[in-house]
Amino acid sequence: MRLRAVVSSVALLLALGLVLGLAGSGVAQQKVLKIGMSLPVTGADADGADAIAKGAQMAIDEINAKGGVAGYKLEGVLYDSATPAAGQYDPAQAATNYKKFIADAMVLAAVGPVMSGEGKAISPIISEADFATITPSSTNPDITDPKFKSQYRPKGKAVYFRNVTTDAYQGPNMANYLFHQVKVKSVYVLDDGGAFGVGIADSFERRAKELGIKVLGRDRLDPKEADYKTILTKIKGLNPDGLYYGGVMQAAAKLAPQSFEIMPKVVKAGSDGVYDLSWPQQSGKEAIEGWYCSQASPELVTDPKLEAWVTKFKTTMKREPTNYSITAYNAVLVIADATDRLVKAKKPVNRSNLRDAIQATKLTSIQGAIAYDENGDITNRTVSIYQWQDAKLKPLGAAPQK
Amino acid sequence: MNIYEVLLQQVINGIALGMMYALLALGFTMVYGIIELINFAHFSVFMSGTFIGLTVLQLMGFATARPSGGLALVGSLILVFLVTMTATGLLGVLIERICLRPLRGVSGTAPMITTIGVAFILINIALLTWGPQAQRFPQLLPNWRWEVGKADVTFKQLMLCATGLILMLALNYLVKKTALGKAMRATAQDADAAQMMGVDVDRIIMLTFFIGSALAGAGSLFFGFYYGFTGYYIGYTTGLRAFTSAVLGGIGNIPGAVFGGLLIGLIQSLGGQLLEVKWTDVIIFSILILVMVFRPTGLFGMQTPQKA
Repeated sequence: MRLRAVVSSVALLLALGLVLGLAGSGVAQQKVLKIGMSLPVTGADADGADAIAKGAQMAIDEINAKGGVAGYKLEGVLYDSATPAAGQYDPAQAATNYKKFIADAMVLAAVGPVMSGEGKAISPIISEADFATITPSSTNPDITDPKFKSQYRPKGKAVYFRNVTTDAYQGPNMANYLFHQVKVKSVYVLDDGGAFGVGIADSFERRAKELGIKVLGRDRLDPKEADYKTILTKIKGLNPDGLYYGGVMQAAAKLAPQSFEIMPKVVKAGSDGVYDLSWPQQSGKEAIEGWYCSQASPELVTDPKLEAWVTKFKTTMKREPTNYSITAYNAVLVIADATDRLVKAKKPVNRSNLRDAIQATKLTSIQGAIAYDENGDITNRTVSIYQWQDAKLKPLGAAPQK
Repeated sequence: MNIYEVLLQQVINGIALGMMYALLALGFTMVYGIIELINFAHFSVFMSGTFIGLTVLQLMGFATARPSGGLALVGSLILVFLVTMTATGLLGVLIERICLRPLRGVSGTAPMITTIGVAFILINIALLTWGPQAQRFPQLLPNWRWEVGKADVTFKQLMLCATGLILMLALNYLVKKTALGKAMRATAQDADAAQMMGVDVDRIIMLTFFIGSALAGAGSLFFGFYYGFTGYYIGYTTGLRAFTSAVLGGIGNIPGAVFGGLLIGLIQSLGGQLLEVKWTDVIIFSILILVMVFRPTGLFGMQTPQKA
C-alpha cells in the first residue's frame, strides 16, 4: 500500500517535470551560451571568490539586459571549487568542475579559476578540449610559461588567459617596494604550501637576494595548524626587519594575530592573497595594522573614473567590489566580445573558434586595454601596493618595476 | 634574544601547546579506557564547543567589550564554562544515545566508523552555520605576561597548564577511587556481570560520554581564549595530534595522555626551532611509529579493561 503511494507520487512528479520541461523548451527562442565559473565560494577565501563571482555576474546581467550578445543569451554556471575537507580551494574539485563544463556542450568558455593551485590542475584538461578560461586572479607564472608547455597545455595553444599579471612581477615588485620605499634590509620568508604561495614566495625571495636584502630563512606554514608560535619565536630570534608571507587567507587569519603578539614592530608584507576585505574581521584590525599587500593589476576600485561602476556594483550586488571583481567582470566582456566577432565573421561559435577569438582580443575596458600575448598573459604588467590602515586598504600606488 | 633564550621560549611554547593537546586527549582517552571505543567525534565535539562558547560570549555581550571588574570577569568565566561544558556534555550524550547505543554489542569497527561519520556531520553543521572563515574569539582573559630571562610566560599559558594538571588528577581520582569510577570500570570489564550486580550500564556509559565531552568543552574554551580564533576545521589537526598524544602515552591511561601531550608539544616546538616547521608532522609521526614498534602499549602502558 505504502509502496504504491510512493511509486505513484514519483510517477506524478516525473510527469510534471516532463510537462514543465517541454513548456520551458518551447519558450526559449534565444540561443544560450553558458559561461562556466569554478570559484571557491566557500572555504577560507570565500569573500574574495564572492567578489569575483559577483563581478562576473554583473557583466552577464548587463549584457542580457541589452538583449544578449550576437543572438546569444549569456548564462553563468557556478560551481564551488572549495571542499569541506580542504577548508579552502581544492585543486581536485576544480578539475572535476572543469570536466563538468567540458561535458556540457552549451558551456563554451569559463571565468576562473581564482587560485593558481586550481589553475595547475585544470590547465592540461582544458587544453585537450581547446576550451578557453579567463582567470580574474590566479598569478602563478608556471601555468602560462612556455617552459612548462608540455605539462600545462599539451596541445600547444594558449587556453589559460589572465586579466591580471603574474607572480613573475607581483612577488619581485613587492621586494622592490620593500627595498626602495620601506628600506628593509633583512627578511624572513614564509609560504602556505599552496602552488600560489610557494611560487610567489620563491619569486619574492629571488628578487630580494638580487637587491641585496638579506634572506634570513624560509619556512612553510600548515594552513590547518592553529599554532604558529614556534616559527614566529624562531623568526624573532633572528631579528629581521621584515616578514614576507606568500599565501592565502586560511594561514593568514592566524599568522596576523600571532605575529602581532610576538613581533609587533617587524614590517610585514603579503601578496594579493591577503588583499581580502574580511581580514580585519577574521584577525582583528589591530593585528593587521601596517601589513603591506599587493594586487597583480592596476588599482581600480578607488579610481575616480570607475566611480559610476563601483556605485552600480554596490547597489546591485550589495557588497564592496575588489579589483578582481573588475577583472572578472572584464573576463565576461572578453568572452562576449569574442563571440560577437565570431558571429560577425560568420564563423561557427564553438570552443575552439572562441579560444582563437579570445587570443586575438583587443578590448578597451575599465581596467585599460586588454590584450594577451601568445601564452595567454595580459600585456599590462602593473602591480599595485597597499597597506592595511585602520581596517582599510590604503592604495600606495604602483610598485617600482626595478 | 640569544639562542638559549629562544630555546627557553620554545620550551615554554611547547609546554603550553602540549597542555592544549593534553586537555583534548584526556576526554578521548577516558572514553576509550571505559568502553574501548576510539571516538573520533570527540574532536568535532571540541570544535563545536568553541562555537557554543563563542555564541554564549556573544549573547553575554562580550563580542567586543570586556567585563569591567575582576569579580564580573570571574563570574562570567564560570558561567561560560558551565554552559559550554554542559552543552558539549549533552552533545556527547546525544551522540551516544542516537548513534552508538544501537550499535552496542556490534563487534568490529562499525562503532568507530560511525564516530567518523558523526565527526563529519558536526564539521558540516559548523561550516554551514558559522561559515568558512576564521571567527574571532573574545579575549576575556587578561594579557599578563612575565619575563623569564628574555622569554615570556603569559597568564594564559599558566592557566592552561594548571587546568590540565587539575583535570588530570580529578579524572584519575574519579575513575580510580569513587563509586562511580568503580561502576565504570566494572562496566568496562563485563557489562552483563555489572548489570547483574545492579549497575545501570546505560547510565554509566552515558555519564562517561557526558564527562568526556564536557572536558572537550573546557578544552575548546581554552583553545578560543589562547589562540583568539576558531574555525570549523580546528578539530582536525589539533585532534589528530591529541589522538597521537593519547596513543603515545598509552591509550586509556589518564596521566599518560597528559605526558603524551606534553611530549608532542615539545617535539613540535623544538623540532620546528632546530629543523624546520614544515617537517613538524614528519617528526611527530616518525616518533609515534618508533614508539609503536618498540613499545606497542605506549610509553606509560595501555590501560584497557581486562575482558572476562
